[in-house]
Amino acid sequence: MSLNGDLAAVQMVVGSALASLEANRNRIDDLNVYPVPDGDTGTNLTMTVRSLAEAVDNTSAGSRESLARDVSRGALMGARGNSGVILSQIVRGAADVLGEASSATIDARAAAQALRGASDAAYRAVRRPVEGTMLSVIRELAEEAEARAPGRPPIGDLLVDLVRRGEAAVARTPDQLQVLRDAGVVDAGGAGLLELVRGIAAAVSGEALPEPPPADERPAIEAIHQELSRYRYCTVYVIEGRDLEREVMEEQLEKIGDSLLVVGDRNAIKVHVHTDDPGAALSIGSAVGTIDRVEIANMHEQTQQREERLLAAVPDPPTERATTGVVAVVAGEGNRRLFESLARDVGPVSIVEGGQTMNPSTSDLLAAVQALDSDEAVILPNNSNVLLAAEHAAANADRPVEVIAVGSIPGGLAAMVAFDGQRTAAENAAEMRDAVAAVDTGEVTIASRDVEMNGVSIRKGDWLGLYDGDPVAGGDSFDDVAGAVIERLLEQPRDLLTLLVGQDEPPLGALLDRISAAHPDVDVDVQQGGQPHYHLLLSAE
Amino acid sequence: MNLTTANTAIVLDSTADFPDAAQRFANWRVVPLYVNFGTDSFRDGVDLTADRFYERLRASSQMPTTSQPTPGDFVACYAELAGYERILSLHLAANLSGTFQSAGTAAAELGDGRVRTIDTETASVGITLLALAIQRLLERGTTDVEVDELVERYKREHGLLFTVDTLEFLARGGRIGRAKAFAGELLHVKPILSIRQGEVIPVKRVRGARKAFQEFVDALESETKDDTALRIGIAHAAAPEKARELEKMVRDLRPRAQIDVQTMLGAVIGAHAGPGTVGFFWFTDS
Repeated sequence: MSLNGDLAAVQMVVGSALASLEANRNRIDDLNVYPVPDGDTGTNLTMTVRSLAEAVDNTSAGSRESLARDVSRGALMGARGNSGVILSQIVRGAADVLGEASSATIDARAAAQALRGASDAAYRAVRRPVEGTMLSVIRELAEEAEARAPGRPPIGDLLVDLVRRGEAAVARTPDQLQVLRDAGVVDAGGAGLLELVRGIAAAVSGEALPEPPPADERPAIEAIHQELSRYRYCTVYVIEGRDLEREVMEEQLEKIGDSLLVVGDRNAIKVHVHTDDPGAALSIGSAVGTIDRVEIANMHEQTQQREERLLAAVPDPPTERATTGVVAVVAGEGNRRLFESLARDVGPVSIVEGGQTMNPSTSDLLAAVQALDSDEAVILPNNSNVLLAAEHAAANADRPVEVIAVGSIPGGLAAMVAFDGQRTAAENAAEMRDAVAAVDTGEVTIASRDVEMNGVSIRKGDWLGLYDGDPVAGGDSFDDVAGAVIERLLEQPRDLLTLLVGQDEPPLGALLDRISAAHPDVDVDVQQGGQPHYHLLLSAE
Repeated sequence: MNLTTANTAIVLDSTADFPDAAQRFANWRVVPLYVNFGTDSFRDGVDLTADRFYERLRASSQMPTTSQPTPGDFVACYAELAGYERILSLHLAANLSGTFQSAGTAAAELGDGRVRTIDTETASVGITLLALAIQRLLERGTTDVEVDELVERYKREHGLLFTVDTLEFLARGGRIGRAKAFAGELLHVKPILSIRQGEVIPVKRVRGARKAFQEFVDALESETKDDTALRIGIAHAAAPEKARELEKMVRDLRPRAQIDVQTMLGAVIGAHAGPGTVGFFWFTDS
């Protein structure tokens, strides 16, 4: 068929373009990583075209020229988001040309001129045009139409070719724009523009729109839709019993949490609740029946994992070569991970295995310093036995090196929190020394020989508790010894107690209960450190 | 031209977190951004108050998205201010949102030269403290040149720090920028952040709420003097106790300062920073 420039034809074309876009709206939202990865390009484009469609439905325009004006105004006034504003300029560029066109029907030549006008207007609207976006897609469409127009193809044929060229242009966007390539997606705005052209082509050919491809389920998007709760523990269990009263349980559980789900019958009930007190949730169940299949998940960990996944989808900030890197002497796989996580995106880190009984040599440390991709370095010896080797390495290195006299892994972690790879080693050292000074540290281990302490003798094989390097407690009860160290650590008001659990993992349940009863205001952070010899490394800050 | 409150209007967008602007000042208006939960779209601060937003955020399994006002929204607001010869339209950093561009498109559409759009390069109460400083100029009579000078000085000298419970919201909204480096996936690290030239930037990271608070104290002590010209803003996202603590700290350390604004972060800023966020803003006016 031919394409008229009259109102009925315009309404039909706009309706079909909108339908095509609506059908792909969610898929396009999911593609959105540029310029801001906020997942709303499909929605914004749809809102913009809806506003255009309303303007076309309500127009009282008597001429093609005034119709064109109403169309561009409708798109502009309803333009949502960056993509919507650019689309409104594309519409305006095309409408300006078509409004002035003299022929009754829109032929290939008029279409080419309209697309050229659209492309020019879009480029003008953007301060710094970027390839691999809606802009390059509209430009390629204009080029395709201009190349084909001299052959005077029927408008329907031209549109088929435009869809094909548009698909190719969209598919090429990841080659043109790094962030798209990194995220493994095509440009969302370009994809939306292509759907509009597809809709127009379908209207003109009278064919049905193709089924949209299914939305791509990437983990980042799935993560976005996960539920957030202000409570810490997701608690699930089943109660079996007789004459169980679902409503009564619900009423009781409601008081201690949210996201409540209590389902079942008088003989068995399944409970799901988010709460800060899983113990209380379980007692409500055990008071009326036998509880089974208990699952308690720490949702803060889930939140952290979700944050990690989300961050993985965010393009990395432009990385400049770091000024300063860190060499840290660390024992234990978990501790290594903690040091590495604190360096991620902040600056280079090189971990040297070692600690109490396995002291790295000066040349080990020197090699680690020189391997860092940075102009300067900081060494965290994390053990007093390593300090001297660190100082020798610093004196012999090919770059400025600062040694922080930190004698424990928790102290080293505190220093690591203050690390900033863009600052000099001296600036880092100043911040890190302040950070180390602000934490107190302790250790729980097994005495390797008999020791005399404050008149108390600790026998070889007993638990031994140290505060700031000095023995303060001993005996055969882990809970009592660790508890005594913790009391010393919390003598002055503290916010946060960190426990790094060693390779030989002591049972912590009773100890943690004791801490939360005696110090309800202190946050306790338990991490698997995996270090040998020390069953527990502690710090308070 | 002598600019006064009688002939000059101030237009903010809702990210200034000053929802009762029009009730406070006859020459002020707020144009709302949009907050969407799924297919439900709300005007920030109009259809959805800050309180209701945080309630809904807790209850909803769908995470909100936001979008800038349309040029049409701005055209309508500017038209309503027909009695004013000059309109100063102050907006969220153009690097963070298309709101400034949308306002500019509307101003160009009107084409009468009455509207001057200003990219404040900041966010939230940072925008409102600037608007209040401009209003003080208008109250005594001022000129375009003086307003320009104030805006430039404000961009250089105003300070802001904020801390979030998690970087998740900034990441999801795509506004995390270089602060991505501060993600403390382990060890519950608290990021101390700022905004410079429209970019969220990392300042420092600390562990524990007390240390985060100490960063606000240090900033106030090192960046300001106790002076009646010192203007303070405090904003929080569903964390009133933290805001009260900051207020007390300001009254203790800078008793002569004026706390111009103390408010809850609105839905749009709240959707991007997340519950638990606290923002602290300061500017020494002349």
